[in-house]
Amino acid sequence: MKIVVLLSAGAHPVSSAPVLPRLEAQALRLALALGETTGLHAGPSAAPAADALGHGLGLLTHLATREGDDPIPALVAALKAETPDLVLAGRRGQGGEETGLAPYAVAAALGVTIVADAVALAPGAAPGSLVVEQALPKGARRRLVVRLPALVTVHPGAPAPGAYAYGVARRGRVDTIWGVAGSAAEPNPIAVEERPYRPRPKLMRSAPGTGSAAERLAAATGGMASSGANVLVQPTPDEAARAILEHLRRIGVLAPAVANKPAA
Amino acid sequence: MTRVRRDPRADRRAAQIASLDRPRFDLAGRAADGGPGRPRRNPRTEFAALRVTGAARPRFDRQHRGEGAVAQVVSAASTPNVIVVDAPAFLVAVVPDAPGGRLTQHDRQLFGAARTLAGAHGAVAALVAGEIEGLGAIGADRVAALASTQNYAPDVTAAALASAFAALSPRHLLFPETPDGGDLARRLALLTGEPLFPDVEQLSATSVSRAARGKRVAQRAAPARLMTLGADVVAPYSGPAREGRSEPLPTAEVSAPAITDARRIPADPATTPLTVADFVVSAGNGVTDIEAFRRLAEALGATPGASRVLCDAGLMPRASQVGASGSVLTATCYLALGVAGAPQHLQGVAGCEHVVAVNTDLHAAMIERAGLAIVQDAQLVMPALIAALESERAS
Ligand SMILES: Cc1cc2nc3c(=O)[nH]c(=O)nc-3n(C[C@H](O)[C@H](O)[C@H](O)COP(=O)(O)OP(=O)(O)OC[C@H]3O[C@@H](n4cnc5c(N)ncnc54)[C@H](O)[C@@H]3O)c2cc1C
Repeated sequence: MKIVVLLSAGAHPVSSAPVLPRLEAQALRLALALGETTGLHAGPSAAPAADALGHGLGLLTHLATREGDDPIPALVAALKAETPDLVLAGRRGQGGEETGLAPYAVAAALGVTIVADAVALAPGAAPGSLVVEQALPKGARRRLVVRLPALVTVHPGAPAPGAYAYGVARRGRVDTIWGVAGSAAEPNPIAVEERPYRPRPKLMRSAPGTGSAAERLAAATGGMASSGANVLVQPTPDEAARAILEHLRRIGVLAPAVANKPAA
Repeated sequence: MTRVRRDPRADRRAAQIASLDRPRFDLAGRAADGGPGRPRRNPRTEFAALRVTGAARPRFDRQHRGEGAVAQVVSAASTPNVIVVDAPAFLVAVVPDAPGGRLTQHDRQLFGAARTLAGAHGAVAALVAGEIEGLGAIGADRVAALASTQNYAPDVTAAALASAFAALSPRHLLFPETPDGGDLARRLALLTGEPLFPDVEQLSATSVSRAARGKRVAQRAAPARLMTLGADVVAPYSGPAREGRSEPLPTAEVSAPAITDARRIPADPATTPLTVADFVVSAGNGVTDIEAFRRLAEALGATPGASRVLCDAGLMPRASQVGASGSVLTATCYLALGVAGAPQHLQGVAGCEHVVAVNTDLHAAMIERAGLAIVQDAQLVMPALIAALESERAS
């Protein structure tokens, strides 16, 4: 399987120094376990993305573009020429606009399927297919079978990146070629005004804006949830068990009982 | 700036009352007429108005919100009025996640945000696949049904959304910034060519903002057409119920999905961290049979938790402690066995939607917090629950 990992020049979350984003190092680990992998980076300098060589990447193709150019056309042109089976990317950029739209734009331009938020990849049973495990909220997963070619974005819950080794990085190779000159990146189709970021207080769940002081206190500590509470005093253990199971099924945390149960 | 100069003689003349024998002046009455000077306050009547009615001992609500709130509840109960928007000036569409047909807290907040954007003249339209109850109550004026796909097929859903977007042409279309909602929003942005303003962190009727460049800058803009909303940004809609009238949609052409098979794998309770678990069963000091508790957690498929007493005693691992000095839960359901409900413990449970408590003490705080409370010995209820689950499995 021919795999290309899209590598970007991210900014370090603390120091803002250019680094390889962690998500892309995770994507690289998934790719290396799956098959023959190369890296692809479009931008003025390959230095940050070249960190991927230390994580075990053999060849990084650097599409040189001018500072401030849109990298998407260069990436799309290179991928069209190479026709990989699988393209991997991080789910969000790091240090840029962080809209997460770039993988979708590449997939749309290539006309391939996109699958988001993978945490595990495996070759499928049928040839030309891939089993993708997607991360869902609350620890759940979804296992998909996808026809190749496809573009898969990687979730932070994927296995941690492989270790960086200096010797391995020295053995890797960077090929620099001129990328397709795209137009200068559009500033942003939405007119935005930028100001320094200020963290906002999170909304307090279940805190009503109105009500008496006593009601507001009760809501803040979760006391309001019990309005109309259902209290069973000294039921037999079997009654209690039935009431609990029924309640759990009604709120949907417990799988429904076997369908033929009431008839039995 | 200079103050307006007052002429005390003119003021005095203005306060003069016509009388026959001698000059008389109404100096106090001027304030009541809105004349110069501060209005007079009667502190006693104001304080009496702060008194909360119905309390056994005198209580005073100094923020003075009590009476209004009580009056509001009474009127809402007597007239269950539904707000109808007949000819909306524009639509604000919402695509809730609703996994398994159940609205999440994030979905409710999404409707709150849509309501803010719609104001008095717009209508909120919910775009949902399949049947979802209670959309009107959380603020939907219209409900449009998308063709539901049997399996997970985001490309097909995105195509259906694109045709709904063209048919309804809403002023705004909102998604939750969750794995599924965020994915759909980005697919739709590419399909329609409409720019996306993702992961909104602050929202008002006139502006939205989000963090960018590693949370170094905040980008602020007028509300965009396509937006995704982060969690806990806007409060859910809390006004009177809305109509939830169904809105017809043209049927979209369905293409063959590229994903050939999809299967949901439920979270493994043994490896899910407490903070993200969906269903937590926890034991308190009232549970003496820890072995039965472990078997119950396994039978229910729930993540086991514990109160501090059990963790201190070494009966449960420290990682399973729920509360202020343990894990703060985000579970949908919390089943507490023999937990008294100390404030430090309840802080960890404050985010749970449903609480079930089993306790021998009717007056325990946990019983008060619970939606379903069982006053019974936990050592009797646990085996009964395990037996009930086993007999269901056997039949
Ligand atoms: C700084 C600080 C931080 C703390 N942080 C935490 C924290 O993070 N998490 C935490 O949990 N605690 C914390 N605590 C401890 C907390 O104050 C309580 O002491 C503790 O939560 C009580 O645990 P419990 O409800 O299991 O035990 P108890 O208070 O002993 O309550 C046992 C309950 O079980 C019931 N019961 C008894 N027998 C049975 C039976 N056979 N069947 C059913 N019910 C029965 C009783 O009626 C009682 O309600 C903290 C305390 C401090 C001072």
